Amino acid sequence: MANIRLTELVKEFGSTVAVKGISLDIENGEFLIIVGPSGCGKTTTLNMISGLETPTAGEIMIGDRVVNDVEPGDRGLGMVFQDLALFPHMSVFENIAFGLRVQKMEDQEVQERVRAAAEALYILPLLYKRPNQCSGGESQRVALARTIVNNPDVFLMDEPLSSLDAKLRVDMRTELKRLHDRLKATFVYVTHDQAEAMTMADRIVVMNGGKVEQVGSPLDIYDTPMTQFVAGFFGMPTMNFLEGVLTSSNGDPIFKSGSLEISLPEESTQNIKDNKVVLGIRSEHVSVSDGALRGQARIIEPLGDASLVYFEFGEEEELVAKVSPELRISPGDQLMFSLQASHCHLFDQSDGHRLN
Amino acid sequence: MVLSPDTASPIQSKRQAMRKSRRRTIVRHTILILWGLLIMFPIYWMVQTSFKDSGEWVTWPPNWVPHSPTLQNYGQIFTFDITKEGVARQATEQPFNIWGALGDSVLICTLSALIALFMGTFLAYAISRFNVGGSKFRHSVLIIRMIPPIVIAIPLLMYYAIMVPLAAETVLGTRISLFDTRVGMSLLYITITLPFVIWMMLTFIEEVPYSLEHAARIMGAGRMYTLRRVVLPLVASGMVVTFLFVFILNWAEFLLALTLTHPDVTTLPVLLNKFQSASEGRLYGPQAAIGTIITIPVIVLGMIIQKHLIKGFSFGTIRK
Ligand SMILES: Nc1ncnc2c1ncn2[C@@H]1O[C@H](COP(=O)(O)OP(=O)(O)OP(=O)(O)O)[C@@H](O)[C@H]1O
Ligand SMILES: [Mg+2]
Repeated sequence: MANIRLTELVKEFGSTVAVKGISLDIENGEFLIIVGPSGCGKTTTLNMISGLETPTAGEIMIGDRVVNDVEPGDRGLGMVFQDLALFPHMSVFENIAFGLRVQKMEDQEVQERVRAAAEALYILPLLYKRPNQCSGGESQRVALARTIVNNPDVFLMDEPLSSLDAKLRVDMRTELKRLHDRLKATFVYVTHDQAEAMTMADRIVVMNGGKVEQVGSPLDIYDTPMTQFVAGFFGMPTMNFLEGVLTSSNGDPIFKSGSLEISLPEESTQNIKDNKVVLGIRSEHVSVSDGALRGQARIIEPLGDASLVYFEFGEEEELVAKVSPELRISPGDQLMFSLQASHCHLFDQSDGHRLN
Repeated sequence: MVLSPDTASPIQSKRQAMRKSRRRTIVRHTILILWGLLIMFPIYWMVQTSFKDSGEWVTWPPNWVPHSPTLQNYGQIFTFDITKEGVARQATEQPFNIWGALGDSVLICTLSALIALFMGTFLAYAISRFNVGGSKFRHSVLIIRMIPPIVIAIPLLMYYAIMVPLAAETVLGTRISLFDTRVGMSLLYITITLPFVIWMMLTFIEEVPYSLEHAARIMGAGRMYTLRRVVLPLVASGMVVTFLFVFILNWAEFLLALTLTHPDVTTLPVLLNKFQSASEGRLYGPQAAIGTIITIPVIVLGMIIQKHLIKGFSFGTIRK
């Protein structure tokens, strides 16, 4: 049983500050995913939990003990690395058995536990192969088996799927989630892939520039991004952003950007004092089949179950709409569009925090 | 079918390019063959001289192949009987046999290469993983090798023959000399080859990804366990190559051995220099025979290393 508590965690490498004070409570049995762009400090944070890096400041608790000065091997955790880190000179069996051999376990028990772990991940036939004789997906399973065989309370994973091809990656997501349900251990998973985070996580931590931008459930983060960065990071295609001003006519709040005018629901804009805002709206909340605004289609990207329509309006401003594939639109077509006012997000233009 | 000028010209230029590259190949091979002959000639001369009777050693014009090939020279250096009288005559006169020097050389070279390998591997690990000595240390290590041996030969002689015995006598009460001892030579060879070992082992160790060690650490393995079970097995082939390389360096070292030994310890290159007979002058035949014997391991080991170096050290699955 292990919950993890990070308190004001800081990590400096010389003059670069990789992690700038992170506080986080990770619950026992939770599947927590840390997501963010390259270089935002995800790996560094994970490595401080694992003990491979020593924090410059702050405290790490696993269970109810402070582990800042505890050796990585004594923290009761298992880790899957981005490059998998399988030992190339050992058989799959010996790779999986490594942790048990370190503990000087009886050979009989080693055999049993390695076989059990291999069976759970469907790699029994591979046991006497070398890692370089395994495919990418198989190596992935070997790395997972090597971790689960030690029964850790906490699983740390640093972009474990990044070396797989797209199809396998999606399959492994489901499998990892199943593994988590079965083991009921705490999973802390690092990725820069927002789709991976959305599909697997109980909770997502969005990091940017060494700081936490938002913590929440996947839907929370998708529906109510607290900063413009988070709004832009999640969702395919990227959320539409329009810069403009907020005014009111007859007490009704109105967003104005060039020729565009949208009246917004009253309650959402109550405590907005600043006039300069960024309006964000997801492509699925832009309609091009009806509406009062005029635009011209530029590029059509069919996705199969939907199509993306990139269109221009006003003075070279561009929006993207996700529409039903039955709607036949060709580049150059004139269209009438509208934005669903209830799904508009308003962000501060200077620091990007959410206003509504 | 008529080729339009548009399609004809690329084919023509292709043919021209092919002809050009073939000419370049011929030129390159001619140069390499000439160079090879230049290099191989002395070796050829040494080998064929080793099979010549004493009457043929210095004939003019030279004999390109031995007219009456004989194993007498080998017989003398290995002291076995080929023709009873022949060996008797030369061997009694000259005690130059190879066994003592061969023993000294094998012992000194193997021992010092092993110790240098052991020390150098751990030093390289420390330099690679803990940045011991700072970021430029790995380069400054190699500078030691750039000192010409002649510069240290005489000072070392002073220390080996005078200072060390003197210090030992005052401190320990007994005279311990490093001059003309196997220990002295081994210490010297360890010192001068260590930079090579560090340099070579660094390149091998740096190829082992940190994540392997991290994985081992998280599974509870200590530093020594990780080194023994993960790092060393992965650089084992590199260690073999480094050992052979250093062994060859020691095997062929002449100047320092000449300066710091005599008469008890003799390495093969030094022995090579001693073939002077009172009655017959320079003994070219036995000398060539020993030269041939010394060269064989160098060529064999060289070929083994070369294969390894060309193959490169890809560890298969390690994805960077
Ligand atoms: N050992 C180190 N020495 C110096 N700087 C480092 C070190 N490790 C990381 N950094 C710096 O710290 C910052 C965060 O690195 P980190 O590896 O945590 O990023 P990340 O979020 O994992 O990125 P990625 O998605 O590319 O893996 C980066 O700017 C990086 O250059
Ligand atoms: Mg990373």
